[in-house]
Amino acid sequence: MSLLSIRDLRTEFSGPAGIARAVDGVSFDVEPGEIFGIVGESGCGKSATCRSILHLFGGAPARIAGGQILLEGTGDIARMTERDLSRVRGREVAFIFQDPLTALNPTMRIGKQIAEVIRCHRKVSKTEARAAALDLLREVQVTSPERRLDAYPHELSGGLRQRVVIAMALALRPRLIIADEPTTALDVTVQDQILRLLRERRDSTGTSIILVTHDLGVVSQICDRMAVMYAGRVVETGSVRQVLDTPSHPYTRALLAALPGQTGRERDLTPIEGSPPGLISPPPGCRFAPRCRFARPECAVGQPPALHPRGETAHLDACILTEVPDVLA
Amino acid sequence: MSLLEFQGVERRFPVRRGLLDALLRREHVWLHAVRGVDLAVRPGEILGIVGESGCGKSTLARIGIGLQPADAGAVIFDGAPLNGPDPKGRLQMVFQDPYSSLNPRMTIGAQLEEVVAHYRPGLTRAERQGRVARMLDEVGLVQETAQKFPHALSGGQRQRVSIARALCPDPQVLIADEPVSALDASVQAQIINLLRRLNREKGLTIVFISHDMNVVRYLCDRVAVMYLGEVVELNDSAALFAEPRHPYTRALIGAVPDVHHPHREGLPVRGEIPDPFAVLQGCRFAPRCPLAETACHRPQSLDALASGGAVRCWKAVSGTLS
Ligand SMILES: Nc1ncnc2c1ncn2[C@@H]1O[C@H](COP(=O)(O)OP(=O)(O)OP(=O)(O)O)[C@@H](O)[C@H]1O
Ligand SMILES: Nc1ncnc2c1ncn2[C@@H]1O[C@H](COP(=O)(O)OP(=O)(O)O)[C@@H](O)[C@H]1O
Ligand code: SF4
Ligand code: SF4
Ligand SMILES: [Mg+2]
Ligand SMILES: [Mg+2]
Repeated sequence: MSLLSIRDLRTEFSGPAGIARAVDGVSFDVEPGEIFGIVGESGCGKSATCRSILHLFGGAPARIAGGQILLEGTGDIARMTERDLSRVRGREVAFIFQDPLTALNPTMRIGKQIAEVIRCHRKVSKTEARAAALDLLREVQVTSPERRLDAYPHELSGGLRQRVVIAMALALRPRLIIADEPTTALDVTVQDQILRLLRERRDSTGTSIILVTHDLGVVSQICDRMAVMYAGRVVETGSVRQVLDTPSHPYTRALLAALPGQTGRERDLTPIEGSPPGLISPPPGCRFAPRCRFARPECAVGQPPALHPRGETAHLDACILTEVPDVLA
Repeated sequence: MSLLEFQGVERRFPVRRGLLDALLRREHVWLHAVRGVDLAVRPGEILGIVGESGCGKSTLARIGIGLQPADAGAVIFDGAPLNGPDPKGRLQMVFQDPYSSLNPRMTIGAQLEEVVAHYRPGLTRAERQGRVARMLDEVGLVQETAQKFPHALSGGQRQRVSIARALCPDPQVLIADEPVSALDASVQAQIINLLRRLNREKGLTIVFISHDMNVVRYLCDRVAVMYLGEVVELNDSAALFAEPRHPYTRALIGAVPDVHHPHREGLPVRGEIPDPFAVLQGCRFAPRCPLAETACHRPQSLDALASGGAVRCWKAVSGTLS
């Protein structure tokens, strides 16, 4: 059984211009011990999907308008009360944000912050909590951890701060860690270190990880399976190798073809013309149709196409074509 | 022959390091942001400058267009020392965040016209508008864009507008500081194609600053790698990526995740970039370098290699890197 099953999730933000359906019928499963990647252009609903799982909207005018978020052994989190959610947060499912500074209290020493996470959920003495915090800093490979316990967040580099946030996420041994762009603000050599750390922690603790990123290289590096999102919907999902090496949806293919690493210097890059649609009144039918090279009249009518199997098992996409031509041809 | 040349450029900033310094009433310390940079930009080339955050790329760029003075050394543009921004606008810059560099309360057309009027006071209104129309066309924006305000444009369109604005005075050199870093890959490709076309068709010389190794490899003719204020390697782009010499360049290239070839083995580089206050006598990369040894603790110079390019590492120069 899957650790997490998201079924037809719908999340809305209300604003002066109307209701933005940031997540509009998203479904995917996360298996125990796997790293699941979510990719897509900015604004496609990656963060909104993740925030829905723990109802962490930071005061934004958001609500879960439909669907289920089934956590194995816990039930449907989509409908949980704040009180029940507070038992899930941190203990069963932990969150890592893009900017570690927002997750840390600037006026508290980091050892104390980690210890408080532990003491919030477990009856342990201050000394025991501090010792556990020290162990966690070792676990995330912070050098000279004894010295760092008494540091304030601003005294640490971006990479060290993200390690501290990961330590806090690991503190209660959650079954699932949601990491929203955890390395986007970091330099590439430090990103490499943090990705290795996440994978290594998964290997030794067996926790599942949802990793959100806009960088396909990052997904390729550490994820097992992945979903590609476009305008609030999943348009392709499968194993990372299926999706990245034999992509089938025209959007996934176009996204890969736009990368400079895939093109020789003698050729121009292949951008995707136009920009993603607004989510207040998205176009009918397939939302990629206005930018899709292969769009036909029947693509742009009715409901968005549903995910369906494409050839290999567990490789699904949401394009109505039976045979998708090569984007570069 | 070079069009724009950095000669021994230095830049230091006085900074207080925080609470402790304030409590102890300590004087500021010096943050050495750019150290002895020698770099010649050739006419018609796209020169890439890469490196991780804080290594001095933006500071070097600002000095290069005369927005900021160098503390020591000189910038030579078109044969003469540069003292402040070029009055004819022949050196232009494009920034990472197009939103903050555009005026939110003016239409795109009015902003561009203002720039044209500044550099060509003699033109009539109709001539100015004609020039703005050509610039919009040049960067692939429809003419209606002139009537719009910045907030009504997408990130990619805004970046085209800032490129159009930089093109107004007909520059010889465009310094682009992370111009695509805030854009999604699908839109980034549009801007990169535009820069390539300006370079090929108009002969525009471009200094392209980036931390994205894949973009730099694709776009640039030559590449300078910076680390903690210094250029540590300089070479033709193809050679630099095929055979990186400096251990830092190797680490940087090795750390870029590849879409189709995951899990490259090899050791990650140790630690992080130390803060730029660190007083380091010898090679500035030594604390993180897997190949560091005692002899690395003496200052390193940027030395030309017989096979082309230049590198700031005695081991790479003597061919004793593994
Ligand atoms: N006005 C200033 N006062 C003090 N320090 C400064 C100032 N401008 C830059 N610095 C410092 O100089 C160093 C180089 O900064 P610079 O902005 O040139 O780096 P960069 O390579 O462009 O980095 P990034 O990739 O983050 O843009 C950094 O340590 C920075 O904090
Ligand atoms: N606080 C908010 N208020 C209103 N709309 C929001 C808010 N946060 C996100 N949205 C909207 O929801 C959509 C998805 O956003 P998000 O999930 O942040 O995208 P991603 O993480 O994929 O970049 C976007 O259209 C965005 O504008
Ligand atoms: S359904 Fe039609 S418009 Fe959508 S991706 Fe497939 S071909 Fe393109
Ligand atoms: S000089 Fe020594 S420490 Fe510096 S890069 Fe070369 S081998 Fe490494
Ligand atoms: Mg996001
Ligand atoms: Mg910069």
